[in-house]
Amino acid sequence: MRALIFLCVVTGAALVYLMSEASSNNAFFAQNYKLLFYLGLGLAMGLGSLIVYQLLLLRRKLRERVFGSKLTLRLMVVFALMALIPGGLVYAISFQFLQQSIESWFNVRVDESLNRGISLGQRVLQNSLKELNEKAEAMAQSLASSTGSEAATLNRLREQHSIEEATLLTSRGRIVAQSGSEPVALLPDLPSPIVMRQVRAQQSVRSIESIPDRGLFLRVIVPVNKLSITDDIRVLQVLQRVPSAIAKDAEMVEAGYKDYQQLLLARVDLKRIFGLTLTLAMLVTLFSALALAFLLSEKLSAPLSALAESTRAIAKGDYSKLNPVKSRDEFGVLTQSFNTMTRQIAEATDAMERNQRQLENAKAYLESILSNLTSGVLTLDERLAVRTMNAAAAQILGVAEQAFHAMKLAEWPRAEPAVAPFAEVALNRFNTPGKDEWEEQLEYRRSDGQRTLLVRGSRLDTSEPGYVLVFDDITHLIQAQRDAAWGEVARRLAHEIKNPLTPIQLSAERLQHKLTPKLPEADAEMLKRATGTIVSHVAALKGMVDDFTQYAHASRMNARAVALNDLVKEVLVLYESMGVAIEARLADNLPLIHADPGMLRQVLHNLFQNAIDALTGVDNPRILVSTTLGTGGVLITVRDNGTGIAEGVMGRIFEPYVTTKPKGTGLGLAIVKKIVDEHHGRILVENVKPHGANVSIVLPLRAAA
Amino acid sequence: MRACAFAFTALTLLPAHAEGIDVKSAALVQDDDGWHLDAQFDVQFSPRLEEAVNRGVPLYFVVEFELSRPRWYWFDEKPIQLTQTYRITYTPLLRQYRLSMGSAYQNFTRFDEVTRVLSRIRDWHVADKGAIKLDGPYQASVRMRLDTAQLPKPFQLNAIASKDWAPASEWYRWSIDNR
Repeated sequence: MRALIFLCVVTGAALVYLMSEASSNNAFFAQNYKLLFYLGLGLAMGLGSLIVYQLLLLRRKLRERVFGSKLTLRLMVVFALMALIPGGLVYAISFQFLQQSIESWFNVRVDESLNRGISLGQRVLQNSLKELNEKAEAMAQSLASSTGSEAATLNRLREQHSIEEATLLTSRGRIVAQSGSEPVALLPDLPSPIVMRQVRAQQSVRSIESIPDRGLFLRVIVPVNKLSITDDIRVLQVLQRVPSAIAKDAEMVEAGYKDYQQLLLARVDLKRIFGLTLTLAMLVTLFSALALAFLLSEKLSAPLSALAESTRAIAKGDYSKLNPVKSRDEFGVLTQSFNTMTRQIAEATDAMERNQRQLENAKAYLESILSNLTSGVLTLDERLAVRTMNAAAAQILGVAEQAFHAMKLAEWPRAEPAVAPFAEVALNRFNTPGKDEWEEQLEYRRSDGQRTLLVRGSRLDTSEPGYVLVFDDITHLIQAQRDAAWGEVARRLAHEIKNPLTPIQLSAERLQHKLTPKLPEADAEMLKRATGTIVSHVAALKGMVDDFTQYAHASRMNARAVALNDLVKEVLVLYESMGVAIEARLADNLPLIHADPGMLRQVLHNLFQNAIDALTGVDNPRILVSTTLGTGGVLITVRDNGTGIAEGVMGRIFEPYVTTKPKGTGLGLAIVKKIVDEHHGRILVENVKPHGANVSIVLPLRAAA
Repeated sequence: MRACAFAFTALTLLPAHAEGIDVKSAALVQDDDGWHLDAQFDVQFSPRLEEAVNRGVPLYFVVEFELSRPRWYWFDEKPIQLTQTYRITYTPLLRQYRLSMGSAYQNFTRFDEVTRVLSRIRDWHVADKGAIKLDGPYQASVRMRLDTAQLPKPFQLNAIASKDWAPASEWYRWSIDNR
């Protein structure tokens, strides 16, 4: 674009110069004036359309609200006015001046004097012609009356009248005699037949002839009327050269007259041609100026547009756009400042983002700790509404994780009645003034049984006041403590009881052995009964003590791959004659499990024994044993329709010496529980409707190492 | 004297214009010397042009003659392209018009005589005897126009703008076929 406009301007300048040259008198340019004119016109039109195009471009930019286009328009208008006003003024003045100066060339006096000059010349020539005519007439009369040689007479007469050339012809145009001051004939041609006819009609013919390169000639042709009848008339032609001084002057006058007349004729056209040249020059100049103005305006507003674009980019969050600093003026400084600002914003934003990311990481870390904590953690705000609750807390309380979201502690029981004791304790404790930290153990009834929870609460005195509750399910811990304590008791008791048993038995046997022969038969019989009782009860005591020992001593597990179904069938064989039908539903697809078969046998015996005991006195007693493959391992259930387990002992059913049977050590289920625990299994005892109990054991396929 | 072995004449049916130049008729005539062109024009000067002559502006009239043979594969072949220039001048001192062609000239005292002589072209030798082969169809074209390039500069611009200042006839074409 820039190159194009530059080219246009240069071409325009050249054309304008050439046209002004052509308007003055220069042969070469004058010949090509038409071409120049068209070129100039074409250029002006090209520039005009260029400007129109530029204006359309600008209008579109204005419509689209391109930043900087308004400034471009304003600059453009200013530039255009700056070009138009002086240009127009100069043009108007020049045009006026031109018209008037052309008019001033012509005035009446010059016109008049030139006309007079011409008529003066004509009159001079006419006079000379008349004079020559008179001479010719005189010569013709002399010739007519002379009788001598025509040639000689002609020569004499010519010299007498000082005429340059005289020719005597017959009426048919044949030369009779010729006489001249110069040897060569002055005129190449003889009178034409028309002239000859005129002469024959007794008319003289006068003419002035201009012969190229030879000057002006006066020619007079007159008839020579011979006196004799027989003779035909002769025709005399006399020629006289117009004196060269007069001829030259006349020509000068004529040339001036011609020029003036041409100018006069061309006056309007000249005005038009000069006007056109001037107008074209002005158009080319103005259009070039306008096109340049547009270019300049765009160039001036370009840095603004670039800055605007950068601003938009920053608004969108793109800080990578830096504008190159092109100029060293204020725009350059502005651009540089803008770039600096952009860089600073970019750095600040980066830092901010980094901080935020760190904070987020810290928070995520904290959250992952909380969620992986096995302790329940509950944070409350100062109104005792839930702020956060980790997964363990929800699990321990047996509620959904989001169940109490933003709910006040006091409103908990309404949403979930089961959590009432927990909420009550926490509320009481927090509302007790003076104590910022507390700890309490409470029994919590969950759907899967009674749990013991250890709850610790504390008040937070940070910037955001609130409360924290941390609680653990310590059911297992208490159970383990109880188990350990009972184990110790059993061991000691077994030891203490077992020691005197053998002497008691031996003494009783000895008494019988020694005293029986010495006593009367009735007494001997009584002794025998008494010692028998002692021995049998000692044996029973021994069995009991052995059970204790067995419970107390952690037996060494001897695990191997076991097919559970085979084991169950093996044990069932022993109960075939017990009078109670034991139904077995064994799954076919059971894999081998890793377990101690002896221990498992013990478990099955204990469970069957319990079931049979529970079925005494029950109509239609039934026992169902089944094995299935579950998600966590192999499931064994033993179910009976007996009396079931009393509610009061349900919570402590696995503790030793807890029993509902009239006879029983209360160790059966305790041992079962112990064995299952050693196999990393789980056990669940529950009552079923309408009556009866159900024991489920899950054994993992592969015991954890 | 003229052995009209071949004469190809075509008469124009165009109506005469009030001003300007028209070709009334044109013919190519062969004789012993070669080929000659006879043409009759209708030349009507506009008042402005006549005034220009009377004020001493010389006018140049150009008669152009072309003989062409169409070629299907290229531009037409043009074996003959000729021009002849007539010059009309006026001498105010002698009140004479002069029609000149080259070094030859003729003087007239009345303008319509000049026009009459200019309108008629006779015996313009356009080709030698062997120049035209006549083995196929030829097309001859003739026209007369005012040579505006030789007008004084101010009038040239007029010639661009107005027809008055640039009288020119259309090309007058006729075909010549020997066979």
